[in-house]
Amino acid sequence: MTRPAGARSVHRRPVARKLRGTRGLVGWLFVAPAFAFYAVFVLRPIALTFQYSLYEWDGIGPSTWVGAANYGRVFTDRDLFESLVNAFQLIVFFSAVPVVLGLAVAATIRRIAASRLALVARTVLFLPQVIPLVAAGIAWSWLLASTGVVNQLLSLVGLGGVTRAWLGDFATALPAVGMIGAWVLLGLCTLLLLAGMSKIDPALYEAARLDGAGPWREFVSITIPSLRQEIAVCVTVTVIAALASFDIVYISTQGGPGNTTMVPGLQIFYLAFADREVGTASALAMVLMILVIACALPIQWFAKDNNR
Amino acid sequence: MITPWREAWTGRLLLVLMMAITLLPFVSLFVTALHPSGTYPAGLAWPDDPQWGNFLRAFEAAEMGELLKSSTLIVLGVVPISILLGTMAGFAIGHLRVIGGRVLFVLFVLGLTLPYEGIITPLYYQIRDMGLLNTRWAIILPLIGLFMPFSVFWMRAHFVNMPGELSESARMDGANVWQLFRRIHVPLAVPAIASLGILLFLWTWNQFLLAIVLVDDPTKRTMSGALGAFQGQWGTNIPLLSAGSLLILTPTLLVFLIFQRHFVKALLQGSLKG
Amino acid sequence: MARRVRPGRSGVALVIAMGTLTAACAPPGGDSPQPQATSAAPVSEAPTCGTAPVTMTGYFETGFPLPKELTTEFTKQHPNVTWDIREDQFAVLTQNAPRLLADNPPDLMRLPQLSELVKDNLMKNLDGYATAFGWDKWPASQLEQLRLGQGGRPRGEGSLYALGLNMSMTGVFYNKKLAEQIGMSAPPATLAEFDTLLDKAKSAGITPIVQFNGGATGGLAFPLQNLMASYGPSGPINDWIFQKPGATIDTPSNLQAVQHLERWIKAGYFQKDVNAVDYATMMSRFIDGQGLFMFNGDWESGNLDKQMAGNVGFTLMPSAQEGGKLATMSAPLTFGIAAKAKNADCAAYFLNWVATDKRAREIGVEVGGSRPLGPADAYMPEVAQDTVTAGTLAAGADIAADNGAMDFIANATGAIYAKGWTPQLQKLVAGEQTPQELLKTVQADYSGQIEGN
Repeated sequence: MTRPAGARSVHRRPVARKLRGTRGLVGWLFVAPAFAFYAVFVLRPIALTFQYSLYEWDGIGPSTWVGAANYGRVFTDRDLFESLVNAFQLIVFFSAVPVVLGLAVAATIRRIAASRLALVARTVLFLPQVIPLVAAGIAWSWLLASTGVVNQLLSLVGLGGVTRAWLGDFATALPAVGMIGAWVLLGLCTLLLLAGMSKIDPALYEAARLDGAGPWREFVSITIPSLRQEIAVCVTVTVIAALASFDIVYISTQGGPGNTTMVPGLQIFYLAFADREVGTASALAMVLMILVIACALPIQWFAKDNNR
Repeated sequence: MITPWREAWTGRLLLVLMMAITLLPFVSLFVTALHPSGTYPAGLAWPDDPQWGNFLRAFEAAEMGELLKSSTLIVLGVVPISILLGTMAGFAIGHLRVIGGRVLFVLFVLGLTLPYEGIITPLYYQIRDMGLLNTRWAIILPLIGLFMPFSVFWMRAHFVNMPGELSESARMDGANVWQLFRRIHVPLAVPAIASLGILLFLWTWNQFLLAIVLVDDPTKRTMSGALGAFQGQWGTNIPLLSAGSLLILTPTLLVFLIFQRHFVKALLQGSLKG
Repeated sequence: MARRVRPGRSGVALVIAMGTLTAACAPPGGDSPQPQATSAAPVSEAPTCGTAPVTMTGYFETGFPLPKELTTEFTKQHPNVTWDIREDQFAVLTQNAPRLLADNPPDLMRLPQLSELVKDNLMKNLDGYATAFGWDKWPASQLEQLRLGQGGRPRGEGSLYALGLNMSMTGVFYNKKLAEQIGMSAPPATLAEFDTLLDKAKSAGITPIVQFNGGATGGLAFPLQNLMASYGPSGPINDWIFQKPGATIDTPSNLQAVQHLERWIKAGYFQKDVNAVDYATMMSRFIDGQGLFMFNGDWESGNLDKQMAGNVGFTLMPSAQEGGKLATMSAPLTFGIAAKAKNADCAAYFLNWVATDKRAREIGVEVGGSRPLGPADAYMPEVAQDTVTAGTLAAGADIAADNGAMDFIANATGAIYAKGWTPQLQKLVAGEQTPQELLKTVQADYSGQIEGN
């Protein structure tokens, strides 16, 4: 709400008078249906998740009140805690790779933005955003298999020594899952940043050039600061995607080998529906929701500042 | 702007490389799908005897006709209602500035980043108690609720920019609030609504978690959930799995290619605002 | 001021509205009807599928053609019965089992470990059917593993909760052509001989063992349990699987077995990417001749006879001592009926049909490769002598003679495979776990899971 107060008073005050009745009952009638759905299918389940998290319950029989014990388990049980750690490690791949690479690519593309190639690229780079993550998981599982294309390409360039079953190796499974996520998110970030770059006033660059700034200086002192909002958005979207990842892991590794790629989302699913430890699952779910909000809110506020 | 020749070509090369990486999984799926069913083709190799029939087999095995019908029904259940409710609420909060709107809005915004895994457990028991497990309603109703934060957020952002004079003059002409909404504001909001529709379509079509937890019958799921089931059943037959995956991808890809400009715009705006 | 109060008030209203939505905070599970233990419903005469059209719902394991072949044949003989079958891989099926049985119960289902399903009263008690159909007159060993005590523990005695489509058995398959190449004229008679053969294969550039151990399925549990039975008696292992009080897997002879397995891993007897190999990949590699041995079950006999006709042999895992008792995993291919199944009678009739119908028994042997359940004197189809199916059927007789049938260590509890054996064995392969710790961890998981229930 940073619109100048003067501008607001110009056209809001009379409307407020004319529409007085609508701010109460009538207005509420407009909001009520949306809120009802939201309350029944989102707010109520959130409250119930919290309630379940305080009980030990197998989902079928009666439940036992255990207070905060389930939360204790989330942070002391190695498997559960590890899944949280894994989620944060995934951020490196889901966020850092697409944002950094996206910046580099966007900066390069910007110079040839008008060419037909760039137009085609806009379409192609978006494909991963459109397809189901499940399909991405299936395709990449096959690419990363021991007889897959990735190893074929590596052998082709003389790196036959590093080939392996990328998703089955303790050291590489999590990064491999991360790269699938990076593949999905790179296009979105690139195009977001590209759109942001097109809004930068060219005069800024010309001024910098007159000052004798090279391309790198230009990039650091003009491009990056001007893209603050877009970068913030990219980071939010990708961080949430990392913390709440489910589809890709479910399809490509099911959390293995060992527990190296177990993420909270999958762990909740297993705990709640296979192991029937609904209480523990709910405690982990609460922790996950709070973590996501804690990561997203600061950036939300940041982005909003520049909005309206 | 002076563009040095070398820089332009580095850019082009980089682009082509990126596109190649983006397309690689699709190419791999396609080539693998043509190998004899049940084999484990190594890497990217064009088969000696391409098995185009695999696509037909996968079409039948995946019951593609049923899947398309199911996903379409789910989309038809989710998207129009979400748009209507989201637009009404956005209008009330953003334009009418309903009393308590700010509190409501914050409440909605908090739901913007909600990971679905967070509420899937109680949702399951809730849907079960409503007797809706294993029906399409089990996906439709929760998704409408889950889409409300974004829909309201999105539409509010549109209505907050509508000048008040518009409504004022309409009210002078004696229109009631519903007529004002229906006749004046909805037509003006069509671009915003269209973008919202595209995003909701995509998110519904690709919804996986709700589908696999709440609906066991793949032919009552979304496309994405059905693909999960297809992988469960045919995951041991890589060429068939690849063919099925491609088939299940195709409808979205077609819709995307037809409406690509709107898609890209909507997704970019969507993430900027969301 | 007034302006600020009002939103505040609506905020309060909101909180109240939300409060009412959260269902008055009754503890979860309190008010929903609890499934009751189904005591053996007395069945006066053997039920049938009737003559009215009926659609049976089934939930089967993907990749195994036997159940579907049987249901197809059943429909041929009983045209009023049609089948609506869903398939998933075993790990997924395991995850879905409790949820499905409780809320969307299938008539007939391929079952994972039974204890917790029985404890939660999700399975139909089959005692009534057993009397009506005369299953209780079959050799007791066929049904032993499917009997459970009150509340699901211990296993091996009590009421009948499932039936097998056949009695499957595991052992070691070998590729005859590759065996010839390394001069293996007869299957190994001792564990030491087996080791020698593995080493010879390795030196000859042949992968000694193709096995699966990827994703959610730790297939090294097969050789591990065989090694356990080589080093020690099978009784204590069975007690552990049946959740007998005080049973432990962490015994000295089992430790020797895990150490032996570790030596195999370190010697490179398994494929390098074994942690990424799933079951189907292993099968395709073995059929493709990419390895000498494979630890697997006779459910593949029919398939292998078709795809590697004449080129595949089967042997039981040798004992550590020459002439020692033979033991291996042998268990019914477990199918059960949901407690709330709509067509339980028809499902029971089907299970009985599988064991007693002549054509069904033929399919059981040809497609399933294993011995069908049923009365001791039931019709046994002829099998050509040089097939691996004949080999596995003969081995079944040897095991029966030594009383060496064990259930599978992965079936000790519902979660022990996914949470215990699979990650632990994957870690053992990666060199991130020691044999001592492996057994300790699995035992701790096991105790936790039993106490937790």
